Amino acid sequence: MILGALKLWQRYTCLSVAMCVPRQNVHLSCAKMIKEIHESQEGNVRIFQGVNILSPREPYLVKTDDSRGCCTICSLGLDVKHTDVLILSQFLRSDGCMLPRRVTGLCRNQQKRMSKMVAMAQKAGLMPNIAPPKSKMDPKRRYKWKKYNTYFDESTIKDVRSITSGKKGASTQM
Amino acid sequence: MTAYKRVQQWNTFARVWHLYDATWQNPFESAQRIMKYLKGLHKPIYHPLNDCGDHVVVINSGEIALLGDEWRKRVYFHHTGYPGGATWTLAWELHDKDPTMIMKKAVYNVMDGNLQRRYTMQRLHIYPDDDVPEKIKQNITNQIRQLRPVPKRLDRYAPEEVQRFPKVMDWPKNYILR
Ligand SMILES: [Zn+2]
Repeated sequence: MILGALKLWQRYTCLSVAMCVPRQNVHLSCAKMIKEIHESQEGNVRIFQGVNILSPREPYLVKTDDSRGCCTICSLGLDVKHTDVLILSQFLRSDGCMLPRRVTGLCRNQQKRMSKMVAMAQKAGLMPNIAPPKSKMDPKRRYKWKKYNTYFDESTIKDVRSITSGKKGASTQM
Repeated sequence: MTAYKRVQQWNTFARVWHLYDATWQNPFESAQRIMKYLKGLHKPIYHPLNDCGDHVVVINSGEIALLGDEWRKRVYFHHTGYPGGATWTLAWELHDKDPTMIMKKAVYNVMDGNLQRRYTMQRLHIYPDDDVPEKIKQNITNQIRQLRPVPKRLDRYAPEEVQRFPKVMDWPKNYILR
């Protein structure tokens, strides 16, 4: 198994054991509802409905202690590689687009790292099922050199040159 | 010479057949390791003048992986010797024509250019997929460890495995899922 993913899994299991509380879907306070659009056809009328649903990710969310107060990836101390598709696919829409920072909640640096690594994983054909509907799902059917296996080096991703880097050392440290 | 010593002598100088799976491996990093087995450098009895190299069977050479944009940046040069006989072939074009050639050339190029090189290369057997002739397969007794982990595609995971994997991100309130 990939290292980053393994570390996350260990973290998740040890946290849930430590708390000894089964995670539950019943909330007494306000539950986080998200919306889903349902499409249906009735005779000549096509109906689009916005339905409130509970987030399916809620029970599997990793609790982070915000000691560093940055973002989930930083405070978990995860070293994500571009082959950790189980982590990277969480930041994607169903057509493979990267979600913006206001949705992912990542810091500027990690948002850049993640979006670069998503691009790497997509070029390597590791997430063929999260793609626009018209795309060729199988990487082997791609054009010319794109059909062959490619891997990438994460150290080529540069850190964000922050405007406030002079004032705050925390963002450059990482 | 006792019977034990005689068998030990045979085993010391017997040729071992190694298997190497090139799936998602860099051929140029792998060549460094394969070369050691071909020349017998991993043996304590190694000497350039004793013929102690092993056989290596490389399978899935069509599934090799190159770093970044190397498929379209690496160029193979060939000259026929006639005027205007030079050709430059990109790595992916060569791989289209013969999926074993990049692996073969990588191993050939890491070895010293001496008279033994051609004979050492004869002990290397490369196959583009895992379809190996039975006659070669029955010799194999050892496997060489791969250099880098083979990545798993997202659609190869079971759906519940993806769904139950720990999540680092949840959608904000009133987010419209799509
Ligand atoms: Zn952060």
